[in-house]
Amino acid sequence: MSARDEGTRTAGDGAVPVLSAEGLTVRFGEKTALSDVSIEIPRGSTVSIIGPAGSGKTTLLRSFNRMNEVIPGSSQAGTIRFAGGDLHSAAMDPAEVRRRIGMVFEDAALFPGSVFDNLAFGLQARGEEGDLHGIAEVALQAVGLWSEDAEILETRASDLSAEERRRMCIARTLALEPDVLLVDEPTSTLDPAAAARVESLIHAFRDDYTIVFATCDHTQAGRLSDLTAYLDSGRLLEYGPTQTLFTNPRNPRTEFYLTGRLQ
Amino acid sequence: MSAPARSRENHRVRRWLRALGGVAAGITLAALGMLAVVLLLNAGRSPDAGISASSGLVSALAGTLWLALLTAVIAVPVGVGAAVYLEEYAPRTRAWRFLASVLTNLAGVPPVVYGIAGLALFVRGMGLGPSILAGGLTLAVLTVPRVVASVRRALASVPESLRWNALGLGATRWQVVRDQVLRAAAPDIVRGCSAALLRAVGAAAPLLIIGAAGFTTFAPASPGDPLTALPTQTFAWTARPQAGFPALAAGASVTLLFVMALIGLVLWDLRRRHGEARR
Repeated sequence: MSARDEGTRTAGDGAVPVLSAEGLTVRFGEKTALSDVSIEIPRGSTVSIIGPAGSGKTTLLRSFNRMNEVIPGSSQAGTIRFAGGDLHSAAMDPAEVRRRIGMVFEDAALFPGSVFDNLAFGLQARGEEGDLHGIAEVALQAVGLWSEDAEILETRASDLSAEERRRMCIARTLALEPDVLLVDEPTSTLDPAAAARVESLIHAFRDDYTIVFATCDHTQAGRLSDLTAYLDSGRLLEYGPTQTLFTNPRNPRTEFYLTGRLQ
Repeated sequence: MSAPARSRENHRVRRWLRALGGVAAGITLAALGMLAVVLLLNAGRSPDAGISASSGLVSALAGTLWLALLTAVIAVPVGVGAAVYLEEYAPRTRAWRFLASVLTNLAGVPPVVYGIAGLALFVRGMGLGPSILAGGLTLAVLTVPRVVASVRRALASVPESLRWNALGLGATRWQVVRDQVLRAAAPDIVRGCSAALLRAVGAAAPLLIIGAAGFTTFAPASPGDPLTALPTQTFAWTARPQAGFPALAAGASVTLLFVMALIGLVLWDLRRRHGEARR
């Protein structure tokens, strides 16, 4: 814990990385979204990915749970390792990868039906035969949506507020008990008060999960993460302890971005 | 006006429009139904050779119901399956674009042309003769491209993020399609299939070409029986010079409208109960 509090933990400082990319290049058709990105995510850490819009933040997140390959025309070079194994080896089932490396999408589409239907879908997809209500209850408690009357389970997802929807989508992912949590823009489209509440929720998960999140709000990255990666035009320009990167960035472009100066 | 107030206002307007539509549909349906019943009761059971007073609609009505059933059980599964394959599975290759554009164009081919194809393929080629089965197959072939077109539209209107979110929870492509995409698109799919089916039920041209009977003495009881249907019966009666037949033709067309309204109502109810309630 002390390492985290001091913000001095560096990428690959002794700890075995749970996720690592090496020479990762991702293209969509002719367009290169990521080029030659190498990054290590230490187990138990909270890593933020910052950078301007279109810099490849979402693409990097999606590479970690093999969600880019569902986009027609995408191609990838380089390797990603998860818990020591090649993420793209034949032994890795993409569906299993996505359960263990859960993702909360920025555009968190609701499934038709109730909150319970939303939580049960992923569980049923993996063939869960246990107590779906019990699992849903635990997940909803974790995101602060549970109340004693269990009314929330029967509520239609489309009747939830924006904040509740975001919480439900996080619960949907948590219900599968992932090892790693990928969160794309945790608080976009939320009003400031709701954003602060959802952010503190993510903060509370830091002890239980390895978290990688992308955000346009670099102050949020400063508040939540141990390590920060700065992406620019698909390149990883800087990666290191959040405090160091914010106070003493090595790359002038990082500094330009953080201070809001035009280049 | 605040957003909730505007939404309430919209809701009220919608409710009024729905009530108004319901009343109008009810009156129309009741009037059509009365006319159809009068026609069925007053006239004889089947269209007669030359005597208008003993000509009825039972066989044509049964024929149309048979055709609707055959068309639905063939065209809907084939059309929905093809659309799901095209939109959700098939890679977007040059062959895909070719196939998709062929299907789109087939939906615009005039029904008469399908009649010719049905005559060559089912009546002569497969030796089915001018039967209910040949008619049903022809109407099904005519309906499939229309079902494909509307189901593809319905699937394309499901946001991509729904698929991503479902895949991201570790579901397989088929689980995503079956449990989320088809469910989200269900109201539009039923609506599109209903429209395609109703147009097939009302089609006369292809059935006339493959040889619908203008005169039958018994109601068709199986797909192998001679082809007869309300639209073709209407047409056959308008061609007769004897007094009384023009009135019969008018009655038959009213009955056709009534039957189509009934089928539409059943499909609307299906959509209401299984589609929109789930949103």
